[in-house]
Amino acid sequence: MADFIHQVVIVGSGAGGAMAAYELTKAGINVLMLEAGRDYDPKTETPMFKRNADAPLMGAATSDKNFGYYDATVDGGWSVPDEPYTTDDDSDFLWWRARMLGGRTNHWGRYSLRFSEHDFKGKSRDGLGADWPFEYGDIAPWYDKTESLVGVCGTNTGLDDMPDSPPGVLQHPPTPRVPELLVAAAAKKHGITAVPMHRAVLTQPKDDRAACFYATPCGHGCSIGAAFQTTTSLLPMARQTGHFKLITDAMVKQVNTSDEGTVTGLTYIDKASGEEVVIASPVVILAASACESARIMLNSKSAQHPDGLANSSGQLGRNLMDSTGAGIGATIPALKNRPRYNEDGHTANHLFIPWWGHKAQHNLNFPRGYHFELGTGFREPGAWVSGDFAGYGESLKDEAKANYGASVYFALRGEMLPNDNCYMDIDPDVTDKWGIPVARFHWQWSEHELNQVAHGLQTAKTLLETMGATVGDLPAPEQAIAKGGQIIHEVGTARMGSSPADSVTNQWGQTWDCPNLFVMDGGVFASNPHKNCTLTIMTLAMRNANWLAGQIQQGVL
Amino acid sequence: MTDPKALSNPHGLSRRQSLKLFGMMLASAAVPAITGCAASTPQVSGSASDWPTLKIEPISVAGYGQDPNLIMPPPSPWPKTLTTEQIARLSRLTDILVPAQNGQPGALQIGAVDVIDEWVSAPYGQQQRDRDGILRLLIWLDDESGRRYSQPFLMLSEAQQLVLLDDIAYDRDNIDARLQQPAAVFNRLRSLVLAAYFCSEAGSREIGYQGNVPISGDYPGPTPEAMAHLDDVLDELGLSDYAYQQ
Repeated sequence: MADFIHQVVIVGSGAGGAMAAYELTKAGINVLMLEAGRDYDPKTETPMFKRNADAPLMGAATSDKNFGYYDATVDGGWSVPDEPYTTDDDSDFLWWRARMLGGRTNHWGRYSLRFSEHDFKGKSRDGLGADWPFEYGDIAPWYDKTESLVGVCGTNTGLDDMPDSPPGVLQHPPTPRVPELLVAAAAKKHGITAVPMHRAVLTQPKDDRAACFYATPCGHGCSIGAAFQTTTSLLPMARQTGHFKLITDAMVKQVNTSDEGTVTGLTYIDKASGEEVVIASPVVILAASACESARIMLNSKSAQHPDGLANSSGQLGRNLMDSTGAGIGATIPALKNRPRYNEDGHTANHLFIPWWGHKAQHNLNFPRGYHFELGTGFREPGAWVSGDFAGYGESLKDEAKANYGASVYFALRGEMLPNDNCYMDIDPDVTDKWGIPVARFHWQWSEHELNQVAHGLQTAKTLLETMGATVGDLPAPEQAIAKGGQIIHEVGTARMGSSPADSVTNQWGQTWDCPNLFVMDGGVFASNPHKNCTLTIMTLAMRNANWLAGQIQQGVL
Repeated sequence: MTDPKALSNPHGLSRRQSLKLFGMMLASAAVPAITGCAASTPQVSGSASDWPTLKIEPISVAGYGQDPNLIMPPPSPWPKTLTTEQIARLSRLTDILVPAQNGQPGALQIGAVDVIDEWVSAPYGQQQRDRDGILRLLIWLDDESGRRYSQPFLMLSEAQQLVLLDDIAYDRDNIDARLQQPAAVFNRLRSLVLAAYFCSEAGSREIGYQGNVPISGDYPGPTPEAMAHLDDVLDELGLSDYAYQQ
């Protein structure tokens, strides 16, 4: 390693960065990866099988650990000490970050749904948002490769919302649980289909990763490698090639350019010493997360790039999208005191409800679809007990036991459209601990999202009532919709397109303005279909890093 | 800067709706929990003149931070703060809420009072709100038993204690305005005691949680008994014709 000379620097070790590193190192290209957080070893640090009773506050979420004590996230959450962000006065926006090797892949939900043919051409269909600069057919083989590498369980459903994978690509899904089967029947009565979720969880061994043993929540991280995270898969694989070098605690401040505006490398802060380190690199890939990468580019102004690096289109930081989120749940009386069995499974949805309304979308008062994730099951007891209680003593305990596993929660996740009020820029007045100007967020939902949420809540209410639940009045969509960023699917800040006039990168994630600067995280999304962004981030990173490897090998870059 | 602690009621729902939603959100691994999203102790309008108004000092110690040891959680992440007298009253309430019975230990025996002491001594938003309510409730108990029986709560007979608690333990929607605040906090405490009990080894077994054990091979899914019950439920709800086909 002493004479290691990198050909590419990648900023970020999460879904996009690690996939790019895997693909490039496999092609024999030397990669230097910079990660802003600390090193992390899931083999020794994952709290497998740890019980809530053994954690402070019964494992409850706090402002330090926003998903609960055992959540895998290190040095991250809705706020990161010494690294603030701001919102304008009228905006609610939350920015989830993780400062650790592997980034957010250590704790993500692992839901892995392909975007459909129609998802890439939304504007052609309804005139809203932007089309992607390629067809589904162009990316389908890369979905195949990504699913095979990552390991995704699920089935081919034949539904227009869920493109099929070739035979042998998907691993078999775990069998559904009782409340999911009840939801499926209630939905079917209304012509809505529930199907196995696609999840990046192995149900059969792959490489040196074990199959799921159906215990201990994936959000804790997975030391056996069954639940996909880059720290047990892509990063070790990249390392094994001998073409990979990693520097952790390296907080990138800016991308550097020559007087002619050409990218020459970047500057990072070594967090241990607080000192700035300048490194040269023939190629730079930003995969620091949509908003962090855009922040770096906006902070990399120069005479040649007065509005931020590679921002001649003015689109950098614009088109910020999250998924819509809303939900409603109720106790299902018929499920009270149901027979007990182990419902851990792979600890998330075995069944879910994909969007059923695409063909009839023109009859609806919102243009884009959503899906329902289901909150059900005999979960490990924690700090919150389900039920509305009265009294004390034996009757109280009996009521709590009756309610256990008897509730069903519908979590809507929907597509939002980009709008002029949702974007990020740089706060002129605030810097972080390292002296780096911070991101400032602007956010306002449009009627498209609110109408969609209203439809979803009404649908969920109908399904809950079909199962015999009493739901009561629904909240207004303005109150029910999650805050921007809260679903942690933020994308679009450096969108790809077919023209430098209205996009930041081409279809390869290569910035139009700087051929040796690439974006390989969710920033490049031209739209944000409701199907959870990570699988597509990885697929694009694989495809685009493969293309980049060709460019390097041909001497173009 | 966005302060997560300020997200007191993101859904704009009533306190009880919100609490219900929050509990369910947490029951779903797919849904991110926002700190402080659970309901705070409600501020009840109207006459609540019996509710203690003294200043409750907030906890100012550090939390466990964003990178605590997950493999060996700290046994005592911050100093517990309840006094002997507070613990005595809390112990009595805990024992009434979930007593030992039918061969099972009660909440007292599994250490729920320690769990709640840790809870109300924690420096986080939800816990601080609960601290404020629970400490006032413990004072209110003695005040109220003094008003009724001229004795502190622990000096009352068991029957007298239960008569007093009965007034705040039921039907919170139609409760006397004077008792709304203690009833709301008692409800919060009740949930905490239940949580502590069901988290324990004995309670977890009693509620019927059977997971957290590694399985070799495929996930077995519902037992025949559980499937038979589902069939009955589908039948009862008129959904048998729509049963899921694998």
